[in-house]
Amino acid sequence: MKALLAIAWASALNRRGTLALVVAGIALATALLLGLERLRTDIRAGFSQSVSGTDLVVGARTSPIQLMLYAVFRVGGATNNVSMDSIRAVEAHRAVAWVVPLSLGDSHRGRPVLGTTTAYFERFRWGDRQPLAFSAGRPFAGTLDGLYEAVIGAEVAETLGYAPGARITLTHGGGEVLGVEHADKPFTVVGVLARTGTPVDRTVHVSLEALEAIHLDWAGGAPIPGMAIPAEAARKFDLTPKQATAALVGLKNRVAVFNVQRFVAEYEGEALLAVLPAVALDELWQVIGPAEQGLLAISGLVAVVSLASLVAVVLAGLNERRRELAVLRAVGAGPRHVLLLLAAEGVLVTLAGVLLGAALAAALVLGAGPLLQAEFGITLSRAAPTATQWALAGAVVAAGMLASLVPGWRAYRLSLADGLSPRT
Amino acid sequence: MTARRSLLIALLASPVLAPTLALAQSPAGVPAMKPPIKATPAPAPGAPRTIQWEELVPPDWDPFKDFRGLDFQTLDDGDPKAAALLKKMRAAWDAAPVNERLVGQVVRIPGFVVPLEDTNDGLKEFLLVPYFGACIHSPPPPANQIIHVLPRTPAKGFRSMDTVWISGRISTPRTDSYMGVSGYRIEADSVTRYEERRR
Repeated sequence: MKALLAIAWASALNRRGTLALVVAGIALATALLLGLERLRTDIRAGFSQSVSGTDLVVGARTSPIQLMLYAVFRVGGATNNVSMDSIRAVEAHRAVAWVVPLSLGDSHRGRPVLGTTTAYFERFRWGDRQPLAFSAGRPFAGTLDGLYEAVIGAEVAETLGYAPGARITLTHGGGEVLGVEHADKPFTVVGVLARTGTPVDRTVHVSLEALEAIHLDWAGGAPIPGMAIPAEAARKFDLTPKQATAALVGLKNRVAVFNVQRFVAEYEGEALLAVLPAVALDELWQVIGPAEQGLLAISGLVAVVSLASLVAVVLAGLNERRRELAVLRAVGAGPRHVLLLLAAEGVLVTLAGVLLGAALAAALVLGAGPLLQAEFGITLSRAAPTATQWALAGAVVAAGMLASLVPGWRAYRLSLADGLSPRT
Repeated sequence: MTARRSLLIALLASPVLAPTLALAQSPAGVPAMKPPIKATPAPAPGAPRTIQWEELVPPDWDPFKDFRGLDFQTLDDGDPKAAALLKKMRAAWDAAPVNERLVGQVVRIPGFVVPLEDTNDGLKEFLLVPYFGACIHSPPPPANQIIHVLPRTPAKGFRSMDTVWISGRISTPRTDSYMGVSGYRIEADSVTRYEERRR
């Protein structure tokens, strides 16, 4: 067997050009399969990590998925704002323990800016009910004196190099380059949150009053010419927030969740929507599930195609290897050995391809991980392969073994005489 | 939907109230609704007793106490009285008492999952409700038809509105919360996928 493997290796080395291409093909297909699976699991994990301990998310009436995506994951846009009166009415419901209003819309160098209250830092939970922790500094004060204070997520601090004391300006809207700056009212970073692996990491948190202040001298979506209100003067105005984008709601008893949901849905002052975060997420998975499966099926097809090319290359090689195989037969190798030789070659090529593909997928996770985290807030884990990943890699190896039996069988059938006297 | 119709439907469509209704008035032509999931009785000795959702309603609780002598036919569409009645009924359901005799028992009950805390390890908290879509699509079930389930080990692989069997000891948390006694809670020893018994 050892001798057979040595011969297979030497023979393969002789045809290394074509075989290397096949290995590369299998490696790319494997990397695609494993990478997609990693992305799929991690996106799901990231989403379910992003909110915890919140019973309802309340916002203007829209699709539950859109409300969740916007309010919690900062993806997409809001259809409408909610008046603070409505939020206060929800807060006054006897089953409600706490309400944290969220106001979105501005950005800082492509990172979302979240206007909220100091309760956010006490109430917000992620992962498995973990509270937000500060790696440096403190929450914003939430008072007039600390009006222009900001707390930034770990990713913002890391990529933009901010520490407490840094001065930042917010941008109206979401633009990174062409956005209209609120340059006249700069903010001071007072706190940096510890890394969570959730969208919080790429968020800049300021108080609701601060958002009111920077939009004081704006009307109809643009700064009013000749009516600039200096940062200090803004404190003299009424900065009570009038609206927010959404609100996180915590209940005294979770059994009352349907009642509060119904109360919000039937609220007469405004068309509102309340969603259970976990239910909305399940709805999201139901929507994107078929797309995920389609992607996985396509990468499976890519694997099949690359294995078919393995069969094709080895089969085509058979013709030029007639003499080689015949010589082996002449020195005493049985048809069985020839079958084994070719099967071993196929398996070796597949194994090499799968290993290379796994390494490539791991390298991609390492290389593209920080970029994905910065741009989309998706954290790719560098953990050991998941069960599905093992299964996928195993399936590719098994399919490669089966596929390499095809040329093996063909060589098994070739007679000795056929190889010794090729009709060329 | 008009106020009167929704009131009537709310009255008649509730699987909990239907038996009471049938007893109290037995209106002709109204089919007594049964819960869509039928529990399988006769457990093995020592195993948790399988219960039905009806048992969660105290036998002596009469949600119609305050509505006796009312002829719903006389209420007109858009009648403010109808809307007020609906509101009153809603309040009665929200304050639906629990069946004290069940508290402390180890039971097994089937139902639909409404996830509350979904972690990477699985569901750590969910609500169990007796019928599909007991959420925004229909009026929420009464307080005694919702079970707050805390699995001892996170239940992996379940999604919204999956059907499950749960078993565990029933308790009623008397917290400072909403409505004194606040529905049922089960710290579930097991959460398994519901399967129709094959015959």
